[in-house]
Amino acid sequence: MAGTIRAQYPTSLRTVLVPCTGRVGADVVMRAFGRGADGVLVVG
Amino acid sequence: MLEANRHPNINIMTYSEVVGVDGYIGNFKVKVKRKTRYVDETTCTGCGQCTDVCPIYVPNYFDENLSARKVIDISFAQAVPAVYDIVRESCVECFACVDACDQQSIDFSMKDEIVEIEVGTIIVATGWDIYQGPDYGYGQYENVITQIQLERILAPNGPTYGHLVRPSDRKRPTKILFINCVGSRDVSKNPYCSVVCCNLSVKNSKLIKSEHPDTKIVVCYIDMRNCGKDYEEYYRRARDAGIVFMKGLVGKIEEDPLTKNLKVQMEAVGADTIIEEEFHLVVLSSASLPSKGTDEIARVLNMEKSADGFLKEYHARLDPISTKVPGIYLAGSCQGQKGIAYAVGQARGAASAASIPMRKGEYTMELIRAKPNDERCAKCYKCIEACPYSAISVNEKGNLVVDLINCRGCGTCAALCPSKAIELTYFRDDQYMAYIDELLPLEQ
Repeated sequence: MAGTIRAQYPTSLRTVLVPCTGRVGADVVMRAFGRGADGVLVVG
Repeated sequence: MLEANRHPNINIMTYSEVVGVDGYIGNFKVKVKRKTRYVDETTCTGCGQCTDVCPIYVPNYFDENLSARKVIDISFAQAVPAVYDIVRESCVECFACVDACDQQSIDFSMKDEIVEIEVGTIIVATGWDIYQGPDYGYGQYENVITQIQLERILAPNGPTYGHLVRPSDRKRPTKILFINCVGSRDVSKNPYCSVVCCNLSVKNSKLIKSEHPDTKIVVCYIDMRNCGKDYEEYYRRARDAGIVFMKGLVGKIEEDPLTKNLKVQMEAVGADTIIEEEFHLVVLSSASLPSKGTDEIARVLNMEKSADGFLKEYHARLDPISTKVPGIYLAGSCQGQKGIAYAVGQARGAASAASIPMRKGEYTMELIRAKPNDERCAKCYKCIEACPYSAISVNEKGNLVVDLINCRGCGTCAALCPSKAIELTYFRDDQYMAYIDELLPLEQ
């Protein structure tokens, strides 16, 4: 959707593909924080 | 309809309701509740002797309650199958119809029955209903009617056999006001556009004008939305015919208690004035709503609904026919209000889409599926409750079993499992972690 509306996003953003937002558990989010991410955005 | 009923491969179940659906594409098991008519469909000849003797009249729902029918009657003349039915809640049980019936088809002890059928694919075409809120005195003033009621009045088989009369005194109205966007395009009611009403106003006002050129017709609108092939030309012809299209909405309607005429205050946008006029009949282009059983059918078929309450398609632009459930397709207004041409197009598309997997006899699915690990599983069974598709069950040993066809590989179970005993094939936990680690390298 972000691509369809030609939305711009910063180059420091990294995207991880998930089959469904249901798959995003605490382990995935905490791993990202543990690796130094400033924030985690769950979009779906 | 008659032709479809005669087709050897088509079985029409009228007066029935789908109460349960199990299974998956190719193997749906559908439970259909066949509501009883109290009239045996196989022996009723449609002679009408029962109607002649029935003493009770009830409002005729087919004529939008503008006329009456008997408690035992046929819903409308062209009904398929041509079988009579009884409005049981209004019946006084005099049993005059039972005595009158030569075929002995009427049986008050008949009960609803549940029929189970097996089908490969399902097309949902449950249509729409009209908004009947109290706007502009609808339900309070006799001569305020909806477009659908006007359709029945203008229909040759309607309550007045096509003669234009108004409900209060059965006289022909010579000043008619149409109000568009009643209950739609209004964020406090229904924010969406009902699509068909602009053309409906043009069509009905043009019909009346060509039949009775002395009628003064005003159509109030927010915007005229006559998009689509030939519709703009149709709208222009209506304007040329002398129908007044006025941008602006009605502020107030009051009924004259003696004449039952309607005193209307309208705002004319652009002219910056308030117009006061008296009309004999007011026709509301009321909003289209999802049909009454839409919530039920969405629950039974495990389908999603859009924000507007209509059934949700797979993709609003790229795939408006399929749903998120493989093997279930949508046709017509149940997906969103649309004109005849679009509904026909979508219905034919749905028929083709449904026939492809049935003709092939096989269905290709993705391999991303939940996979339980019995050794790690602590048997808390939280995943069974969390699964949105009811795809997880327990076998006799207490181990988890995933139905690979109903599982869509969403991963809700994998995210939830406290002991990481269930994961997605091709989307395994260590794959994720490696993915994140690679995207976010630790600084040295």
